[in-house]
Amino acid sequence: MNAPATTPALRAKDYKSDIKPIWCPGCGHFAVLAAATKALAHLGLPKEQVALISGIGCSSRLPAYIDSYGFHGVHGRALAVAAGLKTARPDLTVLIAGGDGDGFSIGGNHFLHACRRNMDMTYIVMDNEVYGMTKGQASPTTAPEWTHSKMTPHGTGMRRFQPAAMALAAGATWIARGFSGDPSELTRLLVEAIQHPGFSLLHVLSPCQTFRPEQKQWKEQVHPFADSNTGDPVAAAQRIHADDGMALGLIYANHLPVWQPRNQATSSIAALEEEFRV
Amino acid sequence: MSNLLSQDIESLAEFLAHALELEVESAERYRELADNMRVHNNLEVSELFHKLAHYGDTHAAEVEQRAVGFELPYISPWDFKWSCPEAPESPCMEDAHYMMTKCQALELALHNEIRGRDFYAQVANRSSDPAVREAAAEMAAEEDTHVNMLRAWVAREACVAVSRPPDLDPPHMPE
Ligand SMILES: Cc1ncc(C[n+]2csc(CCOP(=O)(O)OP(=O)(O)O)c2C)c(N)n1
Ligand code: SF4
Repeated sequence: MNAPATTPALRAKDYKSDIKPIWCPGCGHFAVLAAATKALAHLGLPKEQVALISGIGCSSRLPAYIDSYGFHGVHGRALAVAAGLKTARPDLTVLIAGGDGDGFSIGGNHFLHACRRNMDMTYIVMDNEVYGMTKGQASPTTAPEWTHSKMTPHGTGMRRFQPAAMALAAGATWIARGFSGDPSELTRLLVEAIQHPGFSLLHVLSPCQTFRPEQKQWKEQVHPFADSNTGDPVAAAQRIHADDGMALGLIYANHLPVWQPRNQATSSIAALEEEFRV
Repeated sequence: MSNLLSQDIESLAEFLAHALELEVESAERYRELADNMRVHNNLEVSELFHKLAHYGDTHAAEVEQRAVGFELPYISPWDFKWSCPEAPESPCMEDAHYMMTKCQALELALHNEIRGRDFYAQVANRSSDPAVREAAAEMAAEEDTHVNMLRAWVAREACVAVSRPPDLDPPHMPE
């Protein structure tokens, strides 16, 4: 991986905003915030060159805590907002942050098309297998037999959504899984994701201390992927399907054409208005 | 004592870069915890964490002072030579809870100071550079005074109960 050309002028803490996180103490999202600020400092990105876009959820509060451009959008629509921004400002480094609920439930369709479009942006999903912000309902990544919410007293009974498999099938060109319990490795993955030209999915296992206290055990359950052949989509698919959901590291990386609209207007606003005149 | 070093540290500049990161990270994390405890109205523990952050700031300033005249190498966040996922003296966020008691916070801090001390002691034992060994031994000795200070603090508080008080407004609410 490319090392920065010079010693970074800004330290990680310089990328933190003055707003204090209101996450529960012990929430995994803190480590994602730390990794994001460290990655930005490592890459030496000027604050005004970075935009963080999110939807709604505890995880989606991340942009407020980072001193760069940010947009706390509508639930499930972060990727759509980010695509619009990247279209208008291709020069910006666009990061999107959110949860499994925001990204894979209400935002599921945007997720598929963002992968397919392969715009140059980085999507960080903090997966705690629950809707944290709305007090602990099952999400698409919740295990079918999880009965702890009164909304699903007998469990959801549904197979889990597989973020990495969906991303691969839909066309994402960089896919990895990280863990908030290993912030250094998470930072390394995030730097790689940002440097990758195209759509990167960084799927982060990020425990919800409050509604899924049993996720404390994840520390003992995570393990690295067994093989490291990451350029071949067939091998990546096999790796994902053979995995227990707790394997960490790079899953797939490939260089395919990045989609970036040319931003050349073919019509003036006045001409468009003329067309709609009644 | 678990092994906290993934590789040996071979120059004084590299050692000082590690020491600076260790202290800065520890102070930052305590400050974050202090702010977070204030948000959750656990003011006693917030104050304690602020104090610990202040100690971290002081130690970081001391290391910075010591590093004057050295060109410290830039080390990528994942390339520090500690074998744990984070700097050895940083409190682990997942060990925090909004209802944690002062005694639990002190135990957390003691655990981290011991790891900080052990890290320096291991550098002092393993480096091939005598200047690194000497500086690391000095810092291990200083960390040892912090360990003793925290032990005395734990004793003063007469910390016996380690369980959290009952949560009268638990987060699992009926929907
Ligand atoms: C249109 C709309 N529907 C539902 C909600 C309620 N809502 C807010 S956050 C959220 C889910 C949050 O879960 P997740 O994205 O996994 O983030 P977490 O809080 O767990 O970090 C829901 C359903 C909303 N804000 N807007
Ligand atoms: S409810 Fe869960 S996800 Fe939300 S801040 Fe608390 S621990 Fe984090």
